[in-house]
Amino acid sequence: MLTDVLETLVHGLTLGSMYAMVAAGLALMLGVARLINFAHGEFFMLGAYAFWFGYREYELPYVVAGALAVAAMVVWGLVYQLGVIRAILARSWHVQLIATLATSIVLTNLAIIVFGTQPKEVPTKLSSTILDIGGFRLAWQRLLVLGGAVVVFWALQRFVTRTRAGRAMRAMSQNREACAVVGVDVQRVALVTFAVSAALAAVAAVLVSPLFNIFPDMGTGLTLKAFAAVVAGGFGYVNGAIAASFLIGVVEALAGSYISYAYKDAIAFLIMIAVLLWRPAGLFGRRIGI
Amino acid sequence: MRIVLAIVLVVLAALPPVTGAQAPPIRVGFASAMSGPAAITGEGVRWGATLAVDEINAKGGVMGRKLEAYFADNKATPGEAVSAVRKLADVDKVDVIVGQTHSGACLGAMPVVKEIGVPMVVESCSHPDIRKLSGKGGNEWTFRVALDDEIMAHTFARYMAKQGVKSASILAMNNDFGRGAVNAYEAAFRKANVKAVSTEFFDPGQPDFRPVLTRLKRAGAETILGVILASDGAPFMRQYRELGLTQKIYSRGSLATAEFLHQVRDNPKIGDGVVEAGYWVAGLDPDFDKRWEERHKIPPRVHGSLAAITLKWAVVPALEIAQKKHGKIDRATIRTALTEVDVKDSPLGPIKFDANHQAWINMLLLEMQDGKVRILEKLPTSPALLN
Repeated sequence: MLTDVLETLVHGLTLGSMYAMVAAGLALMLGVARLINFAHGEFFMLGAYAFWFGYREYELPYVVAGALAVAAMVVWGLVYQLGVIRAILARSWHVQLIATLATSIVLTNLAIIVFGTQPKEVPTKLSSTILDIGGFRLAWQRLLVLGGAVVVFWALQRFVTRTRAGRAMRAMSQNREACAVVGVDVQRVALVTFAVSAALAAVAAVLVSPLFNIFPDMGTGLTLKAFAAVVAGGFGYVNGAIAASFLIGVVEALAGSYISYAYKDAIAFLIMIAVLLWRPAGLFGRRIGI
Repeated sequence: MRIVLAIVLVVLAALPPVTGAQAPPIRVGFASAMSGPAAITGEGVRWGATLAVDEINAKGGVMGRKLEAYFADNKATPGEAVSAVRKLADVDKVDVIVGQTHSGACLGAMPVVKEIGVPMVVESCSHPDIRKLSGKGGNEWTFRVALDDEIMAHTFARYMAKQGVKSASILAMNNDFGRGAVNAYEAAFRKANVKAVSTEFFDPGQPDFRPVLTRLKRAGAETILGVILASDGAPFMRQYRELGLTQKIYSRGSLATAEFLHQVRDNPKIGDGVVEAGYWVAGLDPDFDKRWEERHKIPPRVHGSLAAITLKWAVVPALEIAQKKHGKIDRATIRTALTEVDVKDSPLGPIKFDANHQAWINMLLLEMQDGKVRILEKLPTSPALLN
């Protein structure tokens, strides 16, 4: 019984790590650019395919294929910002919603055309090697996901607080107009934000893909979960989104294991609604900035 | 003027007579999930149908008329299936439809094919209601080649009981296919004295099976009956092994297929020991399989192969009967001709539609062993199995 609970908790934390890396990017975009990117789940999907391409098609080592996938997604983040976001950044939320949703649909269907519908698998040595401690069983890849998430969030924190670009992002998330007045290049900061967000989604994909399937639709549900985490975490507050993601992951795993597997998503979303009723401004109350 | 008229007449006389080859093509529509989480099935149907149509046309078509394939996306949902039928029937003006691959889509499409009056031959939907609603006194426009789970459940449950199975947990897709199968197997297990310990549902395209596997482990049944397709099968089997479960897996869907083995080709033995009830396996039509692999570089998929077999061994014979016996090929004569189809030796077994427009093809018991799928038993089916 205890083993079951422990396994479920670790599994929930693995799911939470994935949601958190995606939600952190979404929260950054919302905080800095004041835009909800409904194509963000597709960033994760593209990152996963980029990783698959290097790892399975070119048989590159895991780390190299992963690094290349992240680099490719940074480029994609820049292209997306310049090609789609720049034109709609100053427009109403309706336009932003339609543009990002349209991008999501286009990317999903492009993936069907380019990669086909057959799910891709990227098993690694770590995903097929099992750690067994007295019946507590876990693929080593799950530990890599957890460790990777810790490193990523530590690096993100350092980036946002210690670097010039990170400080500009924080400033812009607090007052975009004032930033423009004092000479901060708003578009450039938005560009960096999208590159970082895309990189976060790609890191999540590289870490998690060996445990699951890669398929064109994989981003759709993920966007919803990440969005729920961003809302519950305090609309654009990155640490809040990360905490809410872990909460969703653990609740989903526990609900799936002990209440109903078929309704685990519904239960996770119900708990998010309850959190918002309890704290309408998010888990950490009213915050200004990322 | 007379000279001009004479020249025109001479030229017309010199033209070759209008033959079958120049007659208008026969339009065949294929409806399946071309997008969404189940898009892999529609892609397979498109590939299989295209290969079959190319093969038929290369041999001169049907009664000298070429076939033309049209495709529509039902997204595996009942609502979109209605649009898919309307698109094929009203826009593409097809003479007959093959589809809809997914039970929910099929049940959604049935009233519309009846309303429009276009015959639909179902290649792989296995919800028992499709048989019960079709044929005499019901939907005269729907015919089904595939077996349903009520037909297979009793045989499969008896087989499991014979292997000494006393209890089973059921894990099924959360859709009409899965729910139809659960109803059929719960009843069949009762009859075969196999205790159904628990039933769990999962959403297709779900990457994460750990929580449900924990539930199945806790339920403590001897075996698991998985109603699952190959696309979900790979993460399911990997996580099953990760958790160290030892329950034997029986399955319905497409777990024991070349498609699944292709997905887990890094570790093909991961599915060893799984026993599946079905009616198709790669190798039933070797020439088709070979051409599929040459063109697409991957093993043949179940739904694409079933669409091709349905076209070649149910629809084409009906078209020939319609032309020979009724003198024309249109929707009404194709429907009548389908009731007269009597193919003894299709790759799936005999195809002859009964009063409920159900064909009684062979049932297969398949097993994965050493990373390969082998046929354990090939069993003829009949309405007696329902008793």
